[in-house]
Amino acid sequence: MAEIPRSDLSVAEEILGGYPAEEPALIQILQDVHRAYNYLPCDVLERVAEALDVPLAKVFSVSTFYKSFSLEPQGDTIVKVCTGTACHIRGAGLLVEELERQLGVGPGETTEDLSFTIKTVNCVGACAMAPVMIVADKYWGSAKPTRVKKYLAKGGDDEN
Amino acid sequence: MPTLKINGRRVTVDADATILDAVRAAGVEVPTLCHFDGLEPWGGCRLCVVDMSQAGWEDDWFKVVTACNHPVDEGMTVVTDSERIIETRRVVLDLLLARCPEAPLIQELARDYGIEETSYTPNPEPDDCILCGLCTRVCDHIGVSAISSADRGWGREIAPPFHKPPPDCIGCLACAEICPTDCIPYETSNIRRTIWGKEFEMLRDPKTGEAVITKEQAEHFAERSGVPITYFETSDTSKRRQMASTFQKLQVVK
Repeated sequence: MAEIPRSDLSVAEEILGGYPAEEPALIQILQDVHRAYNYLPCDVLERVAEALDVPLAKVFSVSTFYKSFSLEPQGDTIVKVCTGTACHIRGAGLLVEELERQLGVGPGETTEDLSFTIKTVNCVGACAMAPVMIVADKYWGSAKPTRVKKYLAKGGDDEN
Repeated sequence: MPTLKINGRRVTVDADATILDAVRAAGVEVPTLCHFDGLEPWGGCRLCVVDMSQAGWEDDWFKVVTACNHPVDEGMTVVTDSERIIETRRVVLDLLLARCPEAPLIQELARDYGIEETSYTPNPEPDDCILCGLCTRVCDHIGVSAISSADRGWGREIAPPFHKPPPDCIGCLACAEICPTDCIPYETSNIRRTIWGKEFEMLRDPKTGEAVITKEQAEHFAERSGVPITYFETSDTSKRRQMASTFQKLQVVK
């Protein structure tokens, strides 16, 4: 079995240094860790638990409770497809299928080269533009399966 | 000391008692699943719901509250078997039976409330865990916190961190013992004990060779209590023998 590479803990130490070593800081620290590593690595969580003197089980519980935290490495670009009622009716399912064809992975999964992660979300509050697909931070309204390739190529670049 | 009326019967209880204490003092039975005397009440299973009316409320004003964590008050009126209470408990048990169709305790309780089969779609992957949280709460209580609830919604489960053998677990089996549906598997013998995928070595009594406690548990207890670790590895048989020999040496002074 391949050995799991250890994370660079110096980034975590820097984050921990910015907060009081107390339990109430836990979620903010986890958010910073998630931003820095693009996911929550196990060894970093162990360090956070130790630094805040919070049981590891509690840290794990919080990390798995929130949808915005991932314990698996995520792609550089996160592709979200809204599957809320309006988007669902207007063909969100087709967008997901097309994404699966293009990237070879399903919702909640990450491509092997860590470039994309596909996620389905329940509602992004842009029902008038349904169906909505979000690539990085760029919202694509009235998204069409035939244009998925273009959305991915243009990524989250606002210039496009 | 407040006096309450439980199903028309008067009882007087301590000021810091809960409605559940008062109900039990009145000799009335209320079902509970997530309650354990000695642990902080949690109000998670919703089975102990009762109708409650405070002093000064209109005669027909009643509120549905969980008995286990509601404090008592002077002049409170409690009804444990009104129609809507029975119906509420029936819904809770119906849902629990859908989740755990194979758990004998849930089947039995449901049958008490006239439910033979759940009216919902039974869980296709039957699970005996009712998520009452007793295991994680007792683990927190003894100062270990090796397990916790993970995930949320329909995916919520009780798990050790990262679903791997929990580093903090001391192998005391408190979680397995307290589980109302006995759904935490473990193995224990005179030599070894396994729970949550973690293996423990048993400390054996130096004289009788009986396995009493895991090394980790003895160390945890010794550290918390200040009692020497040798006390915890001594078996009950050894303790009795020691006491007998001590008594033998005693001389009666006339």
